[in-house]
Formats: sequence, structure tokens, C-alpha cells
Amino acid sequence: MTKARRSVKMWLLFAVCAAFVIGIYGVARAAQGRSEDRKPITIDRAPQRVIKDPYPSFSAVAINAEENMLVVTDENLYQILEYDRRENTPPQARLTEPKRIISGTNTHAEMMCGVYIDPVTKEVYVLNNDTQNWLPVFPRDARGNAAPSRYLSAPHGTFGIAVNEEKQEMFMTVQHQNSVVVYRKQASGEEKPLRTIAGGDTQLEDPHGIALDVKNKLIFVSNFGNAHVSPPGSQGGRRSAETYGKFEPPSITVYPLEASGNVKPLWILRGSHTMFNWPSHLALHEERQELFVANDADDSILVFRTTDKGDAAPIRMIKGPNTTIKNPPGIALDVKNGEISVASMGTHAVLFFPLTANGDVKPSRIIRAGPANQAALNIGNPGAVGYDTKRDQILVPN
Amino acid sequence: MHDIRYDELHDEFLVVNPFADAILTFRRGIAGQESPVRIIQGPHAKIGGNRLDVDPVHNEIFVPDGNKIRVYPREANGDVSPIRVLEGPDTQLTRAESLSVDPVNNILVVGFNKGERDPDNGAILIFNRTDNGNVKPRAIIRGPKSGIIRINQMAVYPPKKLIVAAMPGLVDMMEPTNAFLGVWTYDDNGDVPPKWMIPIGPKTTLKKPFGVVLNPKNKELIISDMRLNGVLTFSVPEIF
Repeated sequence: MTKARRSVKMWLLFAVCAAFVIGIYGVARAAQGRSEDRKPITIDRAPQRVIKDPYPSFSAVAINAEENMLVVTDENLYQILEYDRRENTPPQARLTEPKRIISGTNTHAEMMCGVYIDPVTKEVYVLNNDTQNWLPVFPRDARGNAAPSRYLSAPHGTFGIAVNEEKQEMFMTVQHQNSVVVYRKQASGEEKPLRTIAGGDTQLEDPHGIALDVKNKLIFVSNFGNAHVSPPGSQGGRRSAETYGKFEPPSITVYPLEASGNVKPLWILRGSHTMFNWPSHLALHEERQELFVANDADDSILVFRTTDKGDAAPIRMIKGPNTTIKNPPGIALDVKNGEISVASMGTHAVLFFPLTANGDVKPSRIIRAGPANQAALNIGNPGAVGYDTKRDQILVPN
Repeated sequence: MHDIRYDELHDEFLVVNPFADAILTFRRGIAGQESPVRIIQGPHAKIGGNRLDVDPVHNEIFVPDGNKIRVYPREANGDVSPIRVLEGPDTQLTRAESLSVDPVNNILVVGFNKGERDPDNGAILIFNRTDNGNVKPRAIIRGPKSGIIRINQMAVYPPKKLIVAAMPGLVDMMEPTNAFLGVWTYDDNGDVPPKWMIPIGPKTTLKKPFGVVLNPKNKELIISDMRLNGVLTFSVPEIF
């Protein structure tokens, strides 16, 4: 009798539990069904506020003196702009209009960081950095939303470009891979590099600018100092299990022009006397054997002898309030006319100085793409946004 | 940098420097070139990811890295190993690129990326905040109805158990047609459309939403847009 009662109780308990489980499952399925069937409520309304810079932010500059071409890349509005290099925006003028603008979704050009003008054809080469993996090339007359005449599938995160015209080779720095890649100058499509400089021995640490001394067969590369450490013999790469990060001081590393693979630099320029602080694009004056550095985070231009090594101080420095240099990633030399042109990202401007300028000197000319004294917002590829609830402030990382 | 998080409780903000594999914590109120107050970096820390979130209540930092989520002590400094790693086949983590943590309801939401050559679209995976090791997600939101292609920054709203995700669309398209900002709930599972969506287009002016953060005090969503190189605020009282 007791046994039978217990058995009935057990069955009852089982039935209740089963019903409960089925009920829960049913509710869950119904809820899921409801979710899957739901129509999203579309909130299609105008923003309350928009924070956006309406003017270009110049990231790189190139000059062709014979044609008086000055080409700049604009990282804010995603444009390539050409000016007459002799322009000088009057102080009262709002801005100088460019001769042409290349921009749009057909261009394969977006967050551009590097630019090169072919000295013969006057084609314009531009490098995309974090958002598109292309190196598009535009003919002399391209304008508007023009498709490039050719484009190369480039590694992700290219920044600097330099060309050895003698050998028709194109050198690029790759920030995301800590490497320098060398392609045929006419490379296009999925063509692979001729050679790559990469690996722990290279001391390429977040490389940015690149300059060639063809006469002395040297490559100069500027590095921000964000290093990846991989054990010898490992495949490397940021996401490999054995690779980790390390902060090193910023530097300029020097390699043989034909270097390939995991090669040690011939020498390194690094240390507190160099004043490096985000050393970005480089320009080299072969005749004077001087290396010019756009020193982005220090609002300065540094000049070194090409033979300087170790913790050498610059031989000249353009820096100070009179220069109006603000966050200069780009620099180009006009050897024929004895001028330095500086892409000053923080002021919507290209600034010109004599080759031998030194100290807190005023620019000899300015081409402005925005009103004077209006600082650039410097929002570039804002991958995220934060909000400081205590101060009611919006935080934007670039 | 692809993420930034403000920790109101400790008045600090955190970012990942992906080029140096480091989590940097700065005190707020600073400007210029002040150094971080703490850096997590090194062979034991092995950061890996580009994004993060901070749980100021339980003092933890979460970092997604493809097939794993690493969790660090918030106050860690130096080469500190993660205290938990969510990893293994049951987690179904493959392209974890973004996340957000809810310290109130103890939920961790993870967003998947989609690269140019990835065949599958992204997804949102929902875990318990304290999950560790090879643990199955509580729910997965993915599929054509969800509209998820790839996810950048994410946020959660604990009082209403909401997941907010910035969806910039296909990576190789400059102005993708399928980008939007989507809002789901913790209870969603399967191929579920968002409960609310802010579309791209002429009215919102959005083109490629990359980042999102909530301002509950003003019932606002703050969105960063990569193609606009701008930040836009939207009044959305209905979701708060």
C-alpha cells in the first residue's frame, strides 16, 4: 500500500515537472517566435546635434615643381585636392579654392595618408590607411567621383609611400604589420610585393613615413614606437599566440635599399635629443643630405643630417607659435624652388617655409582650405565614442 | 583606437592601443600628453583585441579577441594575466570584435565582425558576466532578419535590458546600404530583427555608424560615424 502510494506520488511529481518544463519551453518558443516576427520600430529622425568639421584636414602633401602641382590628401572629407603650388591665401580670405578635387565612392580612396606624384606622367598615387585596402592611381585630368586608372590591392594599414624611379619600385610602410613592402611601380590588382622587410630584427615599430636616398642606396623609416614582440623563429603577427606588445621610444630606422626579410637596421636614430613625438612623413634632400621629419605630436618639423645616428639632436627645427604648425603629418620638399611644404592637419592648411628655415619662423606662404584661426576638429575614423557623465563631455578616439 | 569607455565610478577612461597591444587607463580631466595611470601589456597579458569594456562594480575589464574573451582586474598594471578567459568550441566565439558588460543583470554581450573574406555575417552572443572557459552562450542573435552584417561598438542599458549595436555594414563598401544602429533585448534569441533601429539615410544623415554610447540622463544616443568623421546625438526617449 505504502509502495503504491509512493509510486503514484512519483508519477504525479513527474507529470507536474514535465508540464512545467513543457510550459516553460512553450513560453520561450512563443517569446522567440514573437521576437522573430516582430517588426522593428524605425527611428528615422534628424539628429539633435552634429559635431563635424566642414573643412579638409590635410594628411599628406606632394609637389611637382615643373607643373606647379601641389596635391594634398584630406582625411576629413576624403578628398584629393590639387592646388597651384604658388597660391597664397590672403589673410582675409576664407580659403583658397583647389584646381580640382577627386572624391567619391568610385575612387577607391577614403582615409588617405600618403600621396605621390609621378614625375613623368603626373599621375597621382594615394594610400588608404585603416578603412580601405587599395592604392588607387589617378590620371592627370581625373576629377570628381572618378574611378582610378588602376589600383593595387595593398596591405591593410599602409601609410607612407616613396618611389625609386630608377628601378621603378614603389615602397610603402604598413602600420598594421610593422613592415615595409616593395612593389613594382606599375603594380595593380592582386599583384604581390617584390619583397618585404618585416620581423623582430627590423625594429619596425608602427612605421609611418618613408624616404629613399637612392644615391647612397638607403631607406629611412619613421616609427611611432608601438612594437610587437615575437620569439625568434615564430610566424609573428599581432594575433598569434606568442606575440605581445611593447612601447619603445619613437625612432627612425635605416636599411639598405635592397633590404628584404627580417633584416637589422643599419643604424637607428632614437632618444630624447631627437625630439621625436609621432615622427610621421619624411622627406629627403639628396643634394644637401638632409632628412626632414614631420613631427606630428610635437607640432614641429625636424631636420637631421642623413648620417645622424643614435640620440642626435636635429640640426634645425621649425617650431613655435609663429610657425602656426599644428599636428603636421605630411611634408614634401620642392628642391627646385627651395621650399618645404607642410600639411598642417590641425589648421586646415599647407604651410611653406624656406629649406633652411629654423626656429619660430612665420611661414613664407599659406594655402588654407578653411578660415584662418579656426582649429580643425581632428576627428578621423572615429571607431567609437564615449560619454563622460560627470562632465557632460563626449569623448572621441581616433 | 577603436574603443573608449568612461568609468564614472572611478572617474577614469580606458582605451586599447592595438598597435602596442595595451590597455591604457587615464584619469579624467586631463589634456595634452599626460601618461596613463595604468597600462596592461606584455606576454602574460596578451591583449590581442581592439575594443574593451569596463565593469566598475566588479572591477573587471573585458577584451574581445576573435575566438576568446579575456577578463582582467580593473586595477591591474603591467604584465598581468587575465583572471578569466572565455574560450572553446562551446562558446561559438569566432570573430568576437566588440562587447559590452552589464554589471547589474550580470550579462556580457559580444559582437562579431565580418571581414572582407569572411563568408558568414556577424552575430550577437549573450553570455553570463562571470562565464569562464568553454561555456555555451545563453543566446545568439544572427540571421537575415536580424540584419546584422558586422558590429562595431556596443552598449547595454541595464534598466531595460537592452543591447545597442553600431552596424557599419560591409567593410569594403565606403557607403554600404545595409548599415544601421540596432537595439535588441537580452531575451532575444535566433534570427530576430532589432526592436528599434536608427537607419542611415537623408533624415538621420548617418552613413556608417561606428560607435555608440548612451546618455540616459538626456535620453540620447550618441553615435560616431566613420564616413562623416563626425558625432551625432539623437533624442530617443522611447527606448529609455
